[in-house]
Amino acid sequence: MKKVLVFLFIVLLMTVALPKVTITLWHAMSGSRLPAVEAIVNGFNATHPDIEVVAQFTGSYAETLTKAIAAYRANDQPHIVQVYEVGLQTMLDSGAIVPVYELAGPDFDWGDVIGPILEYYSVNGKLYSMPFNSSTAILYYNKDIFKAAGLDPNKPPTTFSELYEYGRKIVESGAAPGGISFGWPAWVFEQMHAYHAQFYANNENGRKAKATEVYFNKDFGIDVMAEWMKWAQDKVLVYGGREYSANQAFLSSQVAMLIQSTSSVGSIESKANFNVGTTFLPRIEGYPRGNSVIGGATLWVMKGHTQKEYEAIWEFLQYVMKTEVTMQWHKSTGYFPATNSAVKALLDEGWFVEHPNHLTAFLQILSGTRVPEAQGVRLGNFVAIRDVVDSAIEEALQYTGTNYKKEAKRILDNAAKKANTILEEYTMIYGK
Amino acid sequence: MPGEEEFPRFQFSLRGGKMQRRFPNKVLPYLLVSPSIVVVIIFLVIPTIQSLYMSFFRVSPFGDRLIFVKFYNFTKLFKSTDYVHSLLITLVFAAAVVALGITIGLLISVVLNQRLKGLNYYRTLFIWTYAISPAVAGTIWALMFDPSSGPIVYIIKTLFNVKLNWMMNGNLALVIVIIAASWKMLGYNIIFFLAGLQTIPEELLEAASIDGASSVRKFFKITLPLLSPTTFFLLIMNMLYAFFQVFGLIDIMTKGGPGNATEVLVYKLYRDGFINLDTGFASAQSVVLFVFVAILTALQFKYAERRVFYG
Repeated sequence: MKKVLVFLFIVLLMTVALPKVTITLWHAMSGSRLPAVEAIVNGFNATHPDIEVVAQFTGSYAETLTKAIAAYRANDQPHIVQVYEVGLQTMLDSGAIVPVYELAGPDFDWGDVIGPILEYYSVNGKLYSMPFNSSTAILYYNKDIFKAAGLDPNKPPTTFSELYEYGRKIVESGAAPGGISFGWPAWVFEQMHAYHAQFYANNENGRKAKATEVYFNKDFGIDVMAEWMKWAQDKVLVYGGREYSANQAFLSSQVAMLIQSTSSVGSIESKANFNVGTTFLPRIEGYPRGNSVIGGATLWVMKGHTQKEYEAIWEFLQYVMKTEVTMQWHKSTGYFPATNSAVKALLDEGWFVEHPNHLTAFLQILSGTRVPEAQGVRLGNFVAIRDVVDSAIEEALQYTGTNYKKEAKRILDNAAKKANTILEEYTMIYGK
Repeated sequence: MPGEEEFPRFQFSLRGGKMQRRFPNKVLPYLLVSPSIVVVIIFLVIPTIQSLYMSFFRVSPFGDRLIFVKFYNFTKLFKSTDYVHSLLITLVFAAAVVALGITIGLLISVVLNQRLKGLNYYRTLFIWTYAISPAVAGTIWALMFDPSSGPIVYIIKTLFNVKLNWMMNGNLALVIVIIAASWKMLGYNIIFFLAGLQTIPEELLEAASIDGASSVRKFFKITLPLLSPTTFFLLIMNMLYAFFQVFGLIDIMTKGGPGNATEVLVYKLYRDGFINLDTGFASAQSVVLFVFVAILTALQFKYAERRVFYG
């Protein structure tokens, strides 16, 4: 007993003697993503006795950003906060962050970061936040329902018209009550623009200069929306909510197909009681080829901490990029690993052979053309604009008439007007 | 906004004379109420003034830039079709929640006021909806009406062959949110109605019975008028609830969608202020909402209170 006490006392002394640097990390990773984040943090803490990273789940992306802002205004901000891609411009203009390229110093080699990810988050060739969970949208489909509907389960649709035709077959044969559902509908709408090399906003999607006008109410956007409205009316498209709730409809075989972030691969494969297939996003005929675009979030470092803490933060961010760490992150979630070395390592160990659905997103994004349209959209207060588009989609899918294009144009024009006001108000505060 | 601890003016009215005798000291009474005044100032008065101040500015998300814009936020508000739509939705929503909450609450309370076997269990069952947090209540209703796996959707599909999908039907979404919100407030209404019913003197009802009044007549001529202070109090509380306290429920269930079909004023305010990070515009909305509800409440006190019988 005495020995134990003495031992404990010594341990206590040691912990007192080693002053730990505590780093707080606020993130929005719920569900099966939460333990994956904790695994990274625990792994880091175990190998770095002088640093303790405390990861806190702070709600959805929007809630996390709101909390970080409130904390910053109260001078109580976390060290690192995870912000989703639509918060990019807001964070850049915030004056509240320390760019990661400054933390890294000039000699750090960013070349290993996967191309499209690096491009998306770089501003004038410099990286402001650390890539963490990057994804893109792919098409998931239920092979069993395809079979039941008399379709070839190894020939998923590649175009909009095929998708519609298959959806009709599935619904009419009674193989499933619905054809397809989307997660993050406004994001899918953005994806469609990039995927067909169409700009979403002026000034090259706001990457040359601040965007002042959105383009999603042009012919292409109207075409996409009108198609979706037709699908919805014929029960081919079943609306599934703004984030991940569409997964539920897919998993319970209510719909045969799902357009969703590749980050759901892990959870869908583990929960589905049917054969899951994945493939590239469907294309609309008659438009050029672009590429699907990066979504997800990055880690931003906030101002107002000590030099010692910044050193610890950089230590942690480097750890997140480590090959084994980012590989494990990819395996347990489906998000892209951050670096090319990790992709090679995954390939070498045969991961993709056993898990071909984890490969789909890579092939899609690496086989697309690298056009400026697909580098990613950067808009002031994009959060609000995405909200406007989500509402527009919800409104459009309730339409019961037959003049799809006219109604799509009306709704999108209306949404574009609101979005342009948001952009105008943004430049009112920050200048052009 | 008055807190929930406010009580209806039942029969207890303190007469000035008695007060004087009980508190000969002139300072002590103020000292005793000062804690609540401090709380009110810190949590209600100061934020209200701040909102008013902020409503004249455009504010950057991180609060580092403030631009004085005079009435821009207000003109934007009244020019916005979304806001007018939200206002209409709120009125429909509030009217329905208040009407449903009060009529059903009263009906159930009258039944619960009978001498039934196992009455305490029934009472507890009906009252505990109030003890459930909005998040849990929202989740329960969202699951029940889930378009792909909800049991209510399934039952209606098997009975009437109608497929309910609130995500594709804004009016349906509004109806579901109204049901959930009234259900959530039901327990509260029942507690107060039960308390009110128990203060109605038995002799009056007995006398009426002896005179041969039917139970319906007794209800409308005796119970309802004597219950009017409670009803009036609940009218105000339910209205305040429908305007201000449904945020959690809507956030969990519909997030204001589909489209803007269930975007009531408080939810729009939250979305503009905390998701879209437009503090100035959200402040302007809160000011308008405040004035609006203040006027409604004042009108109710002026007109509805005339019909209240305090005994």
